[in-house]
Amino acid sequence: MLQTKQKPRAKPVVGWKLAPRRESHAIWYVFLLPTIVGILLFTLYPLIESLRLSFTRGVGEQYVGFQNYANVLLSDTFWYAVYNTFYITFFQLLLAIPFGFLIACLINSLRRTSNFFKILFYIPNTTSMVAAATVFLAILHPDGPLNYVVELLGFERVVWLSQPLSAKWGAIILSVWHWLGFVIIVTLANLQAIPGEYYEAASMDGASRIQQWIWITIPNMVGSLTILFVLGWIGGLQRFSDAYMLGGLQGSPARSLHTVVGFIFERGFGGSEYGIASAAAYILFIFILIFTFLSTKLLRMKI
Amino acid sequence: MFKLKSRSLSLILMLMMVVILSACASSDTTSNSGASATDTAPSSESNSSSETDASSEFSGTLKVQLIGSFSLDDKTDPVTGVTSKGVHVLKEEFEKRYPGVTVEFVLMGWDNYNEKTQTMLQSNAADVYQLPGIATFAEQGLLEPLQPFIEEDSFDLDVYLNGQIDGWRAMGPEDEQPEIYGLPFIGDARVLVYDKKLFDDWGVEYLSEEPTMEEILEKAKKMTGTNPETGEQNYGITFKGSDAADSVMNINESLGGQWGTGFLWKDMQVEFDTPTMIQAAEMMVEANQYAPEGTLVNQGSEDFFTEDNNVAINLRVPPGFINSLETFGTQDRYQATLLFENTDKGMGGMFAGSPFAIGESSTNHELAWEWLKFSSSDFFQKYMWEERRTESMPVIKAAKDWESVKAIPQMDVILKQMGQLWAPRYPYRAGQPRYILSENIELILLGEITPEEGLTSAQEEAEKWLSSQQ
Repeated sequence: MLQTKQKPRAKPVVGWKLAPRRESHAIWYVFLLPTIVGILLFTLYPLIESLRLSFTRGVGEQYVGFQNYANVLLSDTFWYAVYNTFYITFFQLLLAIPFGFLIACLINSLRRTSNFFKILFYIPNTTSMVAAATVFLAILHPDGPLNYVVELLGFERVVWLSQPLSAKWGAIILSVWHWLGFVIIVTLANLQAIPGEYYEAASMDGASRIQQWIWITIPNMVGSLTILFVLGWIGGLQRFSDAYMLGGLQGSPARSLHTVVGFIFERGFGGSEYGIASAAAYILFIFILIFTFLSTKLLRMKI
Repeated sequence: MFKLKSRSLSLILMLMMVVILSACASSDTTSNSGASATDTAPSSESNSSSETDASSEFSGTLKVQLIGSFSLDDKTDPVTGVTSKGVHVLKEEFEKRYPGVTVEFVLMGWDNYNEKTQTMLQSNAADVYQLPGIATFAEQGLLEPLQPFIEEDSFDLDVYLNGQIDGWRAMGPEDEQPEIYGLPFIGDARVLVYDKKLFDDWGVEYLSEEPTMEEILEKAKKMTGTNPETGEQNYGITFKGSDAADSVMNINESLGGQWGTGFLWKDMQVEFDTPTMIQAAEMMVEANQYAPEGTLVNQGSEDFFTEDNNVAINLRVPPGFINSLETFGTQDRYQATLLFENTDKGMGGMFAGSPFAIGESSTNHELAWEWLKFSSSDFFQKYMWEERRTESMPVIKAAKDWESVKAIPQMDVILKQMGQLWAPRYPYRAGQPRYILSENIELILLGEITPEEGLTSAQEEAEKWLSSQQ
């Protein structure tokens, strides 16, 4: 009796469930349509067009095969731009990640004023890089505040942006200052997610604060530090605004602040060599792809 | 039933997508294809002409693109507190002169102006364009040649200061020599400015009206050190580091050299490693010794034009400095002189400014030409001089007689400099040779290579790049 009642109900229930589910899917596509069209027009189309341009040269878009790729890869200026990009990014990460992690640990141990310090350190990251770099032009001025501190510490003042090496370090200082807040917020979130029971158990076993930090905190932070490392490299390889603001179109002095994206910008918009610029953009894309792949493999990271 | 609805909806969405994409593709094809643009232009033009002939008057909307700090409405400068009139003044005057015509402005900043202009020219977003990078667009066949308009109207090009027309000559895809594609409306130049007070403090004779680089270096050297009157550190000279390669080229020309020959990449020969170029680079190295430490990156001379200045001579100053003098009340302290003149040819300095040009894609060429003529009028030029002085100098000879021009002592030198600039603009600056030369000049000024090494390297690299453009 019960079975006979259930069977006739089963079909309409199945049919009733299927119909609205299909309908809702169709409706969702309508809502997604503007985004899909936007992606097709402003992401996919430029990508394909840029790929096509990378095989052409000149105003007439004459087909030249892989000549542009060869020209870029044989260009000393390009490889110097790659060197500058890697140099600045390497030291940015080397300084910002450990410092940010340490500051996050200190903030995490505070009981009352932690919010104040979180905001204080995060403010630079909310500032646009162009505005931050404009301020740093004054900070890095020969008579600026950084040289005041340098002289207070007993060192000779540095004309930061006038020499290739010090100009690179000027860009590193700016990028560390700008990125530190992001590192602090990410690591702080991870620190607060570590269960307190670990520390309680360790302290009951007699572990000191330093031992707890080394054997509990650091192993639990590997995931965050890895993602910061990968994001930092991707962002670093795309570096442009800070170097452009400090060194201009050519990354002066003597191209010491010329980055890979700066190379693309100069050839594309400074000389209307869209083919060369497009080829360089695809080479940069391959760099980022390889670098991200290696990073995730080496660090055994799951994305 | 639902299946039908779902299919119908999917079909509608697909159709919408196809329509949107095909619309983009078709407009793109038209704009990207030089041939199709050329093919359609005459019919549009003939339509426009026939309308003009039929009504014997102009009508319709004229779109004018302007780059810089232009605004339609009046606005007040936050530093000086002076209110300047917006470009509505030009719109009202033009519409009064041509009843039935409406002027619309497309105003944009200097950021990425070349890319924006390129897009606008390809999509017929305006009729008249402000085009400081005119050669790039003429080469692509995106601009209307102006010689036929000039001849048809018997337009007198002699109203402009010497060289202002030649400075903007460019080459279209079919041209065999530089032709007129733009008429100047914003004048610009670089002049040499010096601080008379520092000259007095050091007991050094003021610069002559047409100083040579030797004279400049000799006097700059004398004024580098501790000021005998004030006891402050003084520097003899400063220059814009990012323009150092242009300074070297200007000095080279004053010494009798030339940048090279040709206009299009395929015909171009550069002369970066000649004896006069090496001599000019050596002079810039010496000048760098008398300059503040940060000069190469445009630092160290921020107080120039103020009462606190500590630099005697500024090598490259745009004419807008007269506004700074007015702001700081130091008009009597600073004097301008001509920059790097080649006395044999009576020329000196790099050509600069902005011209107006007509987009080839415009369907309103005749009216656009009327705007270009309007831009040479006293009304237009006086508006630019009185209201947009921060970014504009007059380009017409008549300006010399304006009372407001005569009232500023430095204007005499500025207008004289503008009338003797090397023209056309250095074509090598439109691509890699410009950056190659700049990089090597910076290396020379940093002391990392000698002038001979740097300029030989610049020559080789530029030749290599030029050969790749064949």
